[in-house]
Amino acid sequence: MHRLLLLGLDHDTAPLALRERLAFDAAGSRAMMDAFAAQFPEAELVPLSTCNRVELYTAQAQQGQPRSDDLIGFLASYHHVDIEHLKPHIYQRQDRAVVEHLFRVCSSLESMVLGETQILGQVRSAYELSRQRGSTRTILHPLFQRAMAVGKQVLTQTDIAEGRLSIASIAVDYARRIFERFDDKTVLSVGAGKMGVLVLKHLADLKPRTLVVCSRDLAKAQRVAGEFDGQAIGMDQLATSLVSADVVVCSTASVAPIITRTAFEPIVRKRRSRPIFLIDIALPRDIEPEIGQLNGVYLYNLDDLQLVVEGTRDSRRDAVRDSENLIAGAVEEYTQWHRAHELGPVIEELYQRYHRLALEEVKKAIEKVPHPTPIKRQRLEQLARRIVNKLLHNHVRELRNAQRLHGPPAQYLHTMEEQFDLGQEWRDERDKELK
Amino acid sequence: MVSTFQLVLLGLAGILFAGGWGVALSRLWSNWPGVRGLTYSLVAAGAAVCLGLVVWHSYKREVWLPLGDNFDTLIWLAVLLSFLILYVQFVCPLPGLDWFVLPIVVLLVIAAGVFAKALPHQYIASAWKWGHLVTSYLSAVAFAVAFAVGAMYLLIHRRLRTKKAPADPNLGNLERLERLTRTSVSLGFSLLSVGMATGVVILVDKGRSSAFGRAWLTSPKIWLAVAVWLAYAVVLHAPINPSFRGRRAAILSVIGFVLMLGVIVAVQFMPEGP
Repeated sequence: MHRLLLLGLDHDTAPLALRERLAFDAAGSRAMMDAFAAQFPEAELVPLSTCNRVELYTAQAQQGQPRSDDLIGFLASYHHVDIEHLKPHIYQRQDRAVVEHLFRVCSSLESMVLGETQILGQVRSAYELSRQRGSTRTILHPLFQRAMAVGKQVLTQTDIAEGRLSIASIAVDYARRIFERFDDKTVLSVGAGKMGVLVLKHLADLKPRTLVVCSRDLAKAQRVAGEFDGQAIGMDQLATSLVSADVVVCSTASVAPIITRTAFEPIVRKRRSRPIFLIDIALPRDIEPEIGQLNGVYLYNLDDLQLVVEGTRDSRRDAVRDSENLIAGAVEEYTQWHRAHELGPVIEELYQRYHRLALEEVKKAIEKVPHPTPIKRQRLEQLARRIVNKLLHNHVRELRNAQRLHGPPAQYLHTMEEQFDLGQEWRDERDKELK
Repeated sequence: MVSTFQLVLLGLAGILFAGGWGVALSRLWSNWPGVRGLTYSLVAAGAAVCLGLVVWHSYKREVWLPLGDNFDTLIWLAVLLSFLILYVQFVCPLPGLDWFVLPIVVLLVIAAGVFAKALPHQYIASAWKWGHLVTSYLSAVAFAVAFAVGAMYLLIHRRLRTKKAPADPNLGNLERLERLTRTSVSLGFSLLSVGMATGVVILVDKGRSSAFGRAWLTSPKIWLAVAVWLAYAVVLHAPINPSFRGRRAAILSVIGFVLMLGVIVAVQFMPEGP
């Protein structure tokens, strides 16, 4: 019997500063899975890191490790973060709640932007990485497969993705509150990643005079700039571009800020305090937050944009309710499948064991009976089988009822395994006999 | 003298302007399509009543030159401001402007009623004095617009800085508001400069130059006017010193207009100086 655990923090529970310390890329994810496997070899793990959340999904034997505290300890020590500092921002889920949470994540109901489709790709990437690393096996593999299918279903069958307020559209809305016209403005994108390009696409609709893409990879910058009839520049020209830019979108994967206050102050002077709109959608952040205090600077990061998105949630209540109904059905369906998947072998083992015991007793009894005939033997065996079935019937029925009423039957199953001596010892003995 | 019926009509104009303001404010919570039409109908009706009052008042005084007394002057200011609102909203709409300018119009109408019985200005004796009054009061109109636009700028700026949802689109955008502030202040500053220069000419003309360094030095009217002039001079200084642009310019525009209101009040009590 297995237990599902989830440990995570997101834009609701943790500040951006903490999230960016715990965030990891693909290489970081692989390294984390290796460290996890070394510490908990029997457990499964899928680490998920997006702009808004860092989550660890694990599955392990009911009595196995890691337990919740082990998992928090692992996360804290892996990222060298004080565990007491981390704890207040962490949320944990178990078993059915993990399934529900993952389905909600894949359906974007836990996202900063309701109805966004990127999360599905991010979950898929996280799952694929774990699968390649052999970190998902019998439990997390079907769970993630199902979660992605549910996410796709919600995003396509409900109105959740209709008229969604994306970060890009909010950025454009803010730009319109600052600037009257854009045909004399310069839009600069620092980084040429997916998110940056998405925001750039919306900003390009404003028809700015100049559109510049700045990246360490000049070829990539040229490719992206080509899409928008823009110019491509290298990072060495960033400071110069910032002097003439009016709207700047930062979305690099840099682990340290690429625009610091010290470097930006002289730029503000050169700009003669002309307003500049900075959108930092990178995690970790690309722009030092102190820059937002300078005259004429309007700086927004992911958390700031979230505030706006949350304000629009009420207007999409119907779509959210439909999505939640769909998810509730999917969770129930999956939980039942999972129970059957987990219960089946245990019930099978239970019957096998007691039928064997009964047959052994029948065998002993027959040896003592004078002139046993095959018919008598067969009838005695049937009698023993019926008695076993009747004796076990109530226990199995209780087990099935218990799982229906109380969710995953882990505790009941464990108790039954203990009570009926269905542990690994018995399985080994049975296998030996079968051989 | 202002008759009771004229005061009643003035009250009606005030109610029409206040009604227009209330309807304009309803944009904050309602998207009713008739808001715009109703607001400007009420403002236009208020302006028409005020114009009628000015004509009647001038007819009764048998003096057709405007700005003859407090009643006349303050109503003219209200009419000019309401015309300005109507002009802006029909040529290049900025709906939020109503929220800030209409209360000033209402205040001016109330002030006209309150000061109507006060000592009227001495009849304008010279072209210099008339020029002084016209330019000074027109500068007040321009500064009222700068005040309204500055206040809107500060509201949007605050919302943007506190990272709240984007400000109401009725308030416009920072770039336009900054441009409007600069234009209004430039116009108001030029008119006020002319008004102050003509004021000095009037003083010299009246042979008060000897007292210029003494009695006028203690006049709040003069000092407030100088403070207004300096505040707006700093706002206009922004192209040379960029640190005075944006939020600081908006704050100075608001402060400048508050001082200007002080000048207007001071003028009601000391129309002829100390």
